[in-house]
Amino acid sequence: MALREILLGPIYIVRALLTTFKHNTRPIVTIEYPERQKAVPPRERGKHILHRYADGLEKCVGCELCAIACPVGCIVVEAAENTPEHRVSPGERYAKRYEINLLRCIYCGMCEEACPYDAITMGPRYDLADDHPDKFIAVKEDMLEPLSASVADTAVPSGAPSAQPVARKW
Amino acid sequence: MATVQTEQVTLTVNGQSVTVPKGTLILDAAKKIGIDIPIFCSHPKMAPVAVCRMCLVEVEKMPKLQPACAVYVADGMVVKTTTEQVNKYQKGVLEFLLINHPLDCPICDKGGECPLQDQTYQYGPGASRYQFDKAHFDKAVPLSDKILLDRERCVLCWRCTRFSEEISGERELALIQRGVHTIIGTFNDEPAKSAYQGNWTEICPVGALTSRQYRFISRPWDLDRTPSICPGCSMGCNIQIDARNNKIGRFQSRENLAVDDSWLCDYGRYSFPNFQRQSMERPRVRRDGRLEEVAYEDAIAFTVDALKRAGGQAAGWASPADTNEELVLFRRLFREVLRSPHLDHRSAAVPDAEPDDMSLAIADIERLDCAVVLGGQEVIDAAPVLHLRLFKAQRKGLTVLKVGAGQVAEAVAGVRPDCTVVGILATEANKAAAVELQSKLQRKVKGSVRRLLVTTGPNGRGAKDLGILPHLGPGYASLNGQAGKGRTEWPGAGLRALYVHESSPLHGFTPSDAESMWLPTLPLIVFHRFKPSPLDEMAHVILPGHAFTEKDGTVTNMEGRVQRISRGLDADWVLEDWRVFQEIANGLGAGWAYESVADITAELVGSLPPYAALNRGERVLWSEPG
Repeated sequence: MALREILLGPIYIVRALLTTFKHNTRPIVTIEYPERQKAVPPRERGKHILHRYADGLEKCVGCELCAIACPVGCIVVEAAENTPEHRVSPGERYAKRYEINLLRCIYCGMCEEACPYDAITMGPRYDLADDHPDKFIAVKEDMLEPLSASVADTAVPSGAPSAQPVARKW
Repeated sequence: MATVQTEQVTLTVNGQSVTVPKGTLILDAAKKIGIDIPIFCSHPKMAPVAVCRMCLVEVEKMPKLQPACAVYVADGMVVKTTTEQVNKYQKGVLEFLLINHPLDCPICDKGGECPLQDQTYQYGPGASRYQFDKAHFDKAVPLSDKILLDRERCVLCWRCTRFSEEISGERELALIQRGVHTIIGTFNDEPAKSAYQGNWTEICPVGALTSRQYRFISRPWDLDRTPSICPGCSMGCNIQIDARNNKIGRFQSRENLAVDDSWLCDYGRYSFPNFQRQSMERPRVRRDGRLEEVAYEDAIAFTVDALKRAGGQAAGWASPADTNEELVLFRRLFREVLRSPHLDHRSAAVPDAEPDDMSLAIADIERLDCAVVLGGQEVIDAAPVLHLRLFKAQRKGLTVLKVGAGQVAEAVAGVRPDCTVVGILATEANKAAAVELQSKLQRKVKGSVRRLLVTTGPNGRGAKDLGILPHLGPGYASLNGQAGKGRTEWPGAGLRALYVHESSPLHGFTPSDAESMWLPTLPLIVFHRFKPSPLDEMAHVILPGHAFTEKDGTVTNMEGRVQRISRGLDADWVLEDWRVFQEIANGLGAGWAYESVADITAELVGSLPPYAALNRGERVLWSEPG
């Protein structure tokens, strides 16, 4: 019994090493997460994005329909009036304050469904870990599309006049 | 006079039989048995016009559909409101109304409480067949400094123009142009001057007329609604405080047929920014010439020490905007604990008050034959909603005589001798003339003459009833030679302390010239108030108090109706005003142990029997009405 094991031992070792080396040649499945991120499906429901029109004006008019549609009540919106000196969105009204509590959010996408101007959509970002609960209150600036990217924004409905907000036909 | 037996008629609505008095509209008969007929132009306070065509119903034996808001019931009438034809017409009317409506509900202030929105969901078609561009009109047109008009949203229901004609009588709004070009506007596009514009926004069934102060402040579902009383004047109109995140968005009217008849004036409605707290204030005490922030206990202890030294030489001024409960404790603090008779609630301009029955009720104005408004516009300015009641009565045949405050002889000459019920309306300041006129008219006319005095502040009547007067106790009881000095006599009376309590910046302690000289010489000024004011500079103790909109209690309006106010905003770090009075009194040796406002109300009702009217929703009367 003992002799047999002594004779076969090196074979076992070689077989185990072969298994190890075989995996070295296979393609790698894991990625270096914080540095590299996986591509997500096109309809991924990650962190919200507030969109702009091609001319850089915000699409959101502060109507609060996302806030009332939200099943967990994690959205707070306060509206204000546009003036010629301070124009934020094309129409009369814009969102002065737009906050989402990302800890409370269940990423269901109801806000996106409710929005009459396609101003809010669920984005691809899912790397939302942080070290303090306060940092999970996303304010408007955290979610707004950067101005430079707005020109390439495919979310602007083709042919939509950007001077007037486009209301969905009822 | 024998009561007229109104003829009753019986009709059938959707198979249900209902009996109503003759002269009732189909709409109201249906409402009586809980059948809802959609409306836009119809309003219970205004004559029917039937312009929106939303209320069309089927009436048997009539060839076409009939507007329920304009057809009176008849015996044996058979009305159907849910037939296929009615549904088809409702859908058609809504589709037409929405052809040029911009459907900008997401940015409209009415969105969420809009009859057009609600009824489109309930009765309307799912989609429009209209393929062309909508007609465009001006948006956000300022009608005045208070109101914006959106002409695209307007469905031409005429409610605002009819209000302007039938309710306020000012005829400021009118329909201009014809057909599809019709717009609402003022003459020559001049700014509207009406004092009742806020009501236009409330009766507008769409978002065409909106308030500039409330613009984009909130959505209806965000608002915390609290029933309360308007702090503007002594009328006591019922309001609803709509607040969002502890910030007042607007005052809305609440219908009370006996008082406001569901209207508000702009002075009261738009007074709410005065009641919005700006900062979290702490009590302050002046030490070495500088005000230092201290805890409530320290400020109260300081006040107790100083008031102990002043004793009977302390004067107290309570605002006519305080609640009855605060006034009860304030009076007891001075009369019973400090033993000082120097108590007042009036401003320098108002003369002494006397026991008064003020037996004319506001709603009874409609039953008068002749009304004398002594002081004319002055009276209307002091209580603007009175004008709406007077105008309503005038349309029914009341003769209104507006004379100057001193023109008693002209007023006597102007009243016809065959009048049976005559009313006199005057401000508190012209009380002597009103009493003189009342006795003269009593001799001239056959029937009864009653008067209604417009008091100062939402609770000026309560302050008088509860004895916040130098020469009278609660219930206008005599003080038996213990009378103190009134506010006008305080400078130069050798007083050693002044306690000012005000809870409304609209009815504050504004020093007269003589008082401005006198106040800096006082050794102690305790200023118990809600908002920073110029008086802070002279005060030795500043105690933050609650605003009119931040507390519970009762107030008495000019006709003696006791109504409750409730807390619409939270300010928990501020000690309730009555608790401050209680702690000062207990510091001075009294043993008060009130637990809540309700305890004080109960004591008030117990000690002043006429105030038991509070529990019955009636008026406080000190004598039987004549």
